[in-house]
Amino acid sequence: MSNSLLTVNNLTIESRSGELLLKGIDMEIEKGEMAALIGESGSGKSLTARAILGILPEEMTVEGQILYKGQDLVKLSRNEHYQLLGKEIGIIFQDYRGSFTPYIKIGKQLIETIRTHQSISKKAAKEAALLALAETGLDPKRVYHSYPFQLSGGQVQRAAISMTLALKPNILICDEVTTALDLMNGEKVLKYIDKARKETDCAVLMITHDLAQAYKWSDRIHVMYEGVIVEDGPTEQIRFHHQHPYTKKLCSSLLSLPEERQASTTEGVYSL
Amino acid sequence: MKTAVIRTSLSLGNVNLVLGLLLAVFIMVVTLIGGALVPHDPFLVDMGNRLQDSSATHWLGTDQLGRDILARIVYGAKLTIGLGTFAIVVAILIGVPVGLISGYIGGKVDAILMRIVDGILSFPDFILAIAIAGILGPNLTNLLIAIVLVRWIVYARVVRGLVLTEKQKEYVLVSQTANSSSLKTIRMHILPQVIPDIIVMAAIDVGKVILLVSSFSYIGLGAQPPIPEWGAMLNDGRSYFQVKPLLMVYPGIAIMLTVLCFNLLGDGLKSQFDIRRGRGRI
Amino acid sequence: MSILVVDNLSKQYSKNVHALKQLSFSLEQGESLGIVGESGSGKSTLAKILIGLETYQDGGITFQGSPIAPKKRAPLRAYRKNVQMIFQDAASALNPKLPIWKSLLEQLKNYKEFTPSFIDVEGLSDKDIARELLGLVGLDSSLADRYPGELSGGQKQRVSIARAISLEPSLLICDEPTASLDVTVQVQILTLLKKLQQQLNITILFISHDMRAVTFLCERIIVLKEGSMVDQFELGKLYEHERNPYTKALLNAASLD
Repeated sequence: MSNSLLTVNNLTIESRSGELLLKGIDMEIEKGEMAALIGESGSGKSLTARAILGILPEEMTVEGQILYKGQDLVKLSRNEHYQLLGKEIGIIFQDYRGSFTPYIKIGKQLIETIRTHQSISKKAAKEAALLALAETGLDPKRVYHSYPFQLSGGQVQRAAISMTLALKPNILICDEVTTALDLMNGEKVLKYIDKARKETDCAVLMITHDLAQAYKWSDRIHVMYEGVIVEDGPTEQIRFHHQHPYTKKLCSSLLSLPEERQASTTEGVYSL
Repeated sequence: MKTAVIRTSLSLGNVNLVLGLLLAVFIMVVTLIGGALVPHDPFLVDMGNRLQDSSATHWLGTDQLGRDILARIVYGAKLTIGLGTFAIVVAILIGVPVGLISGYIGGKVDAILMRIVDGILSFPDFILAIAIAGILGPNLTNLLIAIVLVRWIVYARVVRGLVLTEKQKEYVLVSQTANSSSLKTIRMHILPQVIPDIIVMAAIDVGKVILLVSSFSYIGLGAQPPIPEWGAMLNDGRSYFQVKPLLMVYPGIAIMLTVLCFNLLGDGLKSQFDIRRGRGRI
Repeated sequence: MSILVVDNLSKQYSKNVHALKQLSFSLEQGESLGIVGESGSGKSTLAKILIGLETYQDGGITFQGSPIAPKKRAPLRAYRKNVQMIFQDAASALNPKLPIWKSLLEQLKNYKEFTPSFIDVEGLSDKDIARELLGLVGLDSSLADRYPGELSGGQKQRVSIARAISLEPSLLICDEPTASLDVTVQVQILTLLKKLQQQLNITILFISHDMRAVTFLCERIIVLKEGSMVDQFELGKLYEHERNPYTKALLNAASLD
């Protein structure tokens, strides 16, 4: 497909003991889309992200292709991979505390990150950093002059995302970014990611176990189970017309709000 | 996959542990069987046989007073290793409860105990031990007291630190909400997490203490003649170094092998328990 | 009759940090009350105070008619038998070095005079009692000899639940019991709690940030924000427009559209 930004072909990962962790994953991410990779712990969703980023443990063997702009990421050396990371492919992890060094102010860390990837003056970098922070919906000046521990988890996570986005990546991989946050803060983080995506046309691969979130925010859902993508399709299709038994089980596990319970009797979609 | 990970950690640890165990077996064989095979009195002075080379009767020869060197080394092994172990056991018996109490109860108790510990810790332990041995008089008992006084603090500190992390764990909280007594919570949930670290520390420490006892005896603050402590033997042999260097080589090798043995055991056990990663159980 | 009355409860960590501000509510026997709020709303602090792991500065707690003094140990013994808690992180709620059956029996062993009504303990060994408890929460009795590391997250949380109900408490406090579990497992745990509540007539105080989980289990809901109660309502009135804007925001965050 011409619009495809990242194509995963038959990706297979084997552990040293010969166990198949990923069994032939096929996936396509289009420019500017929000794709959700959903599955339970141990399903291999984080492993897929790690394969794309080239940060798998050495002892694992990878087969298949991960095509990005015509080059196969599987064949890249670690060094070449690092060059792509950040600039072309951004990553945000679940543990927001790991994104910043605890004893350096966030502003300083933002500047450093921006300047390692773009050769601009300190002043220009500061402006870029403040601009990026303003986008998060937080008070940019306050965040800029804060240490990570002075902010709440959701605020740090948003600052971390702004740091990643300041480099204008083409793909943003979000690995369970809201898992450590409560629903309200998670919502704010996702709202920000969605806004940034629409403004910069950056594709997002959202790795999550939270079905409600995937329903709400993604354009397309890939359902992963035991190292296999068992079903994928537009969000509406997965939500209302899923086929695979596992998807059925997963979708029926979503607790419904009282309002939806009435709706579900007429549509018969998610019942308990 | 899990088994594979555990297997690698075992094989890495085993190099040290196996070597350490082999050395330990060797030392035990020498002390237990060697002593029985060569029934010489380590204190028997025989001036007619001084400074002899190895022979069928005296396997390692005799020293400046005609005493059998092997017999003295063997006797010294029992003495040195026994003393080292004893000192550490006593240090543990004092330090671990103090650490447990200090860490678990916290508050004022912790503040007072830790100030005492800090006070003692601010002296280098070798110098402190010299001072204590100097004040009380140079002999093995006083040296032991000095070592215990210096070492229990380290255990108290380490255990306190471990307890402070353990105390936050939810199963400890659950235990408290289950109305378990503090003693029961400590015994059931905290002590088992602390013991592996203590064993590793103790193994390495015994080696250190052996070195310390020998150094003190060498400078004349520990074992006094005619007690065949290895450090004292080194000191004895010093005057005859030109004539018969082996007098110093044998106790030197004995000290080296024993300390090496305990260090290997300590490192090996450390990997075995895999303390850092909290994996495995004893 | 109210089983628990919290009256004007206040907790301050330091001069300007208020964890709870004059919180008052009561809990009826057999009901399930949900407490919803973001992180920092004081909901976990409330749980810790109720279970006796934290002190408070002001206000009072009355349990089954008698006031609770959190500093004295004697009344706590009876109180703790009747109030049990399930923690969020099932993985760290079990001692990794103890086999499941030993962890499971810790509470029961502290109350030797008590025998649970749902198990016929006559002639049963300790381990058998543990096996019965495992059966009660839908786990295979063979798990008794396993260690926590060999169990899945959901299984561990079931063990925690079995341990908490082994004393047949009148009040069970659940602090985000499903937050670290997979969605399919979450439903199972919540369903189990619902079933046990009916079976044993336990009162449940369910603390969560997830509106979905709260509305699934609870008949009445309290909304906490920055240590204060901002809303309180029956489940049926969740969508009425008199709801506090903050409640609506929480609901909105949980909705799918």
